Amino acid sequence: MSEKREIVRTQDVRKTYIMGSEKVHALGGVSLTIDAGEYISIMGPSGSGKSTLFNMVGGLDKPTSGEVYIDEVDIAQLETHELAWLRCRKIGYIFQTFNLIPVMTALENVTLPMVFAGLDADEARDKGAELLAKVGLGERLSHRPPQMSGGQQQRVAIARALANDPAIILADEPTGNLDLRTGREIIGLLLQLKSERGVTIITATHDMKMLDVSDRVVWVTDGKVSRIQSRDQLDIKVGTIDGEET
Amino acid sequence: MPDTKPSALHGRIFDERRRGAYQGVVLPWKRTMEVCWSNIHHRMGRCVLTFVCIAVVVAFFASSLTVQILQGQLIRSADVHTQAVLERAGVFTHDEDSQQRELHQRLWLLSLSAFLCLVGITNTILMSVTERYREIGTLKCLGALDSFVVRLFLVEAIFVGVLGSLLGAGIGCCLGVLQTGAVLEFSILTVAGCTRAAGLGLLLAVALGTLLTTVAAVYPTYVAAKMKPVEAMRVEV
Repeated sequence: MSEKREIVRTQDVRKTYIMGSEKVHALGGVSLTIDAGEYISIMGPSGSGKSTLFNMVGGLDKPTSGEVYIDEVDIAQLETHELAWLRCRKIGYIFQTFNLIPVMTALENVTLPMVFAGLDADEARDKGAELLAKVGLGERLSHRPPQMSGGQQQRVAIARALANDPAIILADEPTGNLDLRTGREIIGLLLQLKSERGVTIITATHDMKMLDVSDRVVWVTDGKVSRIQSRDQLDIKVGTIDGEET
Repeated sequence: MPDTKPSALHGRIFDERRRGAYQGVVLPWKRTMEVCWSNIHHRMGRCVLTFVCIAVVVAFFASSLTVQILQGQLIRSADVHTQAVLERAGVFTHDEDSQQRELHQRLWLLSLSAFLCLVGITNTILMSVTERYREIGTLKCLGALDSFVVRLFLVEAIFVGVLGSLLGAGIGCCLGVLQTGAVLEFSILTVAGCTRAAGLGLLLAVALGTLLTTVAAVYPTYVAAKMKPVEAMRVEV
């Protein structure tokens, strides 16, 4: 058990948005600890604060009050360039809408974070080609996103997320725009990364397929964590989840 | 040897920072140019508007300038025939006041067209910024600083500005020479004189065009740079 080490911790995180004259409490005090090497899913209906929590954990948004620690560093204390460095080197992002740069080839997309990280062009090209081969796109280095299917684009996005050997992969509904089979393949790929590289995977999802592979599932309702379940608990309670949701 | 385990390798995020071996993020100029060029190349439609806008204004400026310079050259010429042609065309008969008025009119027209061009280009670039919000958000998620985004948009605008200005100035200078020749007499124009006038006109017009595009790009670029990385997560188009 001494192996366990926390990688992300939130402490009483609150987020309030001001919409017109109204205050909307997106998160009302969330404390959560995520361990290194864990596969964690954040579940919740839209409007539950799931995305807000996800963005906080990924260093994309700052809390109104409370703290988010990544590797024991309060990210609110980081300067802009340090935050950029964190996103570039240590966190890999995967989006529901793939978000590849449309004018760049697959290889250029994958090597872009390496360019930001200061890798020289040859090294970046070799590593990019290797990563694309790993996700099964070794033959499509010079294809542009519009020439690829959704599943292929998401594979490129995964290769891109891995560009700088991140410690954390943040995946926002990575299977949301994919069909069942492709979705399964993408999940398989994420699982493989977890076991091979020890990457911490944090996903926000609606997809029940994703729950099955998660180490823990965090349920968010009305801006609060309503329950955290580990996988074995989840298996037992599948029946009751449906019951409670309605 | 616990450090060789993958989980240990990836666990300590801020070790480089703690050790002081922290290196920031970079965007080399060569890559900036490549990205900008590929953006222009693959988004031709959007660029054409800026391109035409700048070319027209610069052409107008270049032709006026060339005419002015050529006339100045001719007035200073000692040739009797040239002086006679100028006299006949009425270049000398204008009094100072009407010459001033004409200059003011030209300047006014020029500033007005430059202003319209400015607004047009700003709007075009602003549209392409809002179109690319997700792309900008993604770049930021990948580690781009505000300054990278500024650089990408500004360099792209300047690229288009310089190309549009070159085309506009080229056309404008030729028109300026032709206009002077047609109004006065082609035989009094010398090749050397025309080249010098057109060259100077071209240089100034390209400089103006580039300046205009750069100024027009400032506000949209600022908007782009201030976009939050969370924008990348937005799903609706």
